[in-house]
Amino acid sequence: MKYMVMECHPGYVIVLDEEGRFLKAANFQYEVGEIIENPVLMRKKPIETRRFGNWVRASVIAAAACVLLFFGFGYYQTYMVTYSSVYLTINPQVQMDLNRQGTVIRLIGTNEDGKTLLEGYDGKGKDKITVADELIDRAIEMGFLSSGGRVSFSIDAPDEVVLTEYGVEFRTKITEYLDERMEVVIQITDHKAENGSESSLSPSSSSSQSSGETSQSSQGDSSSGVSSVAPPVSSAASSGGYGDTDYLPSGSTDYVSSSGDTDYSSNYTDYSSNHTDYASSANSSSQKASDYDDGETDYDPEHSNETDDED
Amino acid sequence: MKDEHEIIGQVYAAKEDVQAADDLIRVYMPFIKAETAKFLKRLPIEGRDDEISIAMIAFHEAICGYSRSRGSFLKYAAMLIRSRLIDYVRKEQKHSRVISLDAPSGEDEISLGETLADKKDPNGETEIREATRSEIQELTRQMNAFGVSLSDVAENSPRQQRTLEACQKTLQYAKEHPELLEELLKTKKLPIARLVSGSGVDRKTIERHRKYLVALLLIYTNGYEIIRGHLKQIMKGVAAQ
Repeated sequence: MKYMVMECHPGYVIVLDEEGRFLKAANFQYEVGEIIENPVLMRKKPIETRRFGNWVRASVIAAAACVLLFFGFGYYQTYMVTYSSVYLTINPQVQMDLNRQGTVIRLIGTNEDGKTLLEGYDGKGKDKITVADELIDRAIEMGFLSSGGRVSFSIDAPDEVVLTEYGVEFRTKITEYLDERMEVVIQITDHKAENGSESSLSPSSSSSQSSGETSQSSQGDSSSGVSSVAPPVSSAASSGGYGDTDYLPSGSTDYVSSSGDTDYSSNYTDYSSNHTDYASSANSSSQKASDYDDGETDYDPEHSNETDDED
Repeated sequence: MKDEHEIIGQVYAAKEDVQAADDLIRVYMPFIKAETAKFLKRLPIEGRDDEISIAMIAFHEAICGYSRSRGSFLKYAAMLIRSRLIDYVRKEQKHSRVISLDAPSGEDEISLGETLADKKDPNGETEIREATRSEIQELTRQMNAFGVSLSDVAENSPRQQRTLEACQKTLQYAKEHPELLEELLKTKKLPIARLVSGSGVDRKTIERHRKYLVALLLIYTNGYEIIRGHLKQIMKGVAAQ
């Protein structure tokens, strides 16, 4: 396209193109009457385009905001809202609030030691297991937890599936983590059942089921005999008056895995039948009533049957 | 603050008046140079650095496009100058690469040959340019009688292809009816009603581009052979349709 220079101004020239358009272009020392080929044309008046652009931009921004809001809400629901809570009790008590992904979004020390434990620690955005591992490490470091101690995870999850899943996960992972380092009793309970009705409800049975599974598996793979203990055991573990269990008398709370699986399950059945016995022994060993109840809730016939079936 | 108000008034005046715009550019030449220097990271040399020309047209664009809602004029102008310079440099980079590839290969003889042919006869070129210039001067003078300047026309020129085609259609009709052109010269008014009924182009379109059509029709009255020659091809295309 050729352009004829029609008029020269200091800042620009007016050119006529071959199609009959009059345009403004940059003035590279042109003269009137000159035919030029590659002028730098002035842009269209920005006002009109700008107004249109504003409108378009506004609508695009609005659409983007809607999309963001939509997805943002999803994000918020998935990542920001407390979906479940885990109450970690060693002696320090720590409340871990988790989102749907199982990531820690908040850590609260629920007693003095818990606050001390959390001092200078930031677990936000980490996985629950990582945080639990790290908190246990810290507890060991600070002297809250030593060999033979007890770690309790009380899980407050909205549904049973999650509860079971978390229970299994905590038990296996923490056991793995502490394996061959320290002998610690790991106890998993359902927070709701703990605080609500104390009778054996389905959630608690599920938690005990999970614990049963894990303890079995850990028995299978750990020949050293250092392993976690099934939840009902936590109370029983320290109760010395328990003759026919595989649990050692109070003091050493580790589970002796020399006994086979069958042994274990038979003990289970025994256990439920010796119910009253157990209660008295628990009382005698000045166990907390609630602890005992935990044991009881974890322990129901249904479960023992299951274990039997598994065997 | 008061200074700022003053320049805003000047800018608004320059929007209306071509002369005022030219004066404003002259007055703010140091500012334009300073902005160019900021961009080039050296002092620009007038007459050698194309960037100054780009900065100047950007300043002119700033005058045309400025409104009070955009805040400080000089900041707006500086922003516009910067962006136009960036655009220009990018375009040039692309361009220079194309040339550097084509020149040694010797394949692209057409465009090179054209530029060479133009440069071959500087005397003839000057003569033609002289003739063109006088034609343009005459056209400008005649347009002034209609109260239309070339700057007005440039502002008024159709931008959309469709509008341009509508204007060409109008022109085509006027060309076929020379009495319309005579009427235009005699009354110094665009015979809008007859153009609308004759060409079938929307009245609004013609009214909106009145100044542009005046210029085009004037070019097609008589005596503007060179300008017409410049336009010829496109008009032929329209005639063929």
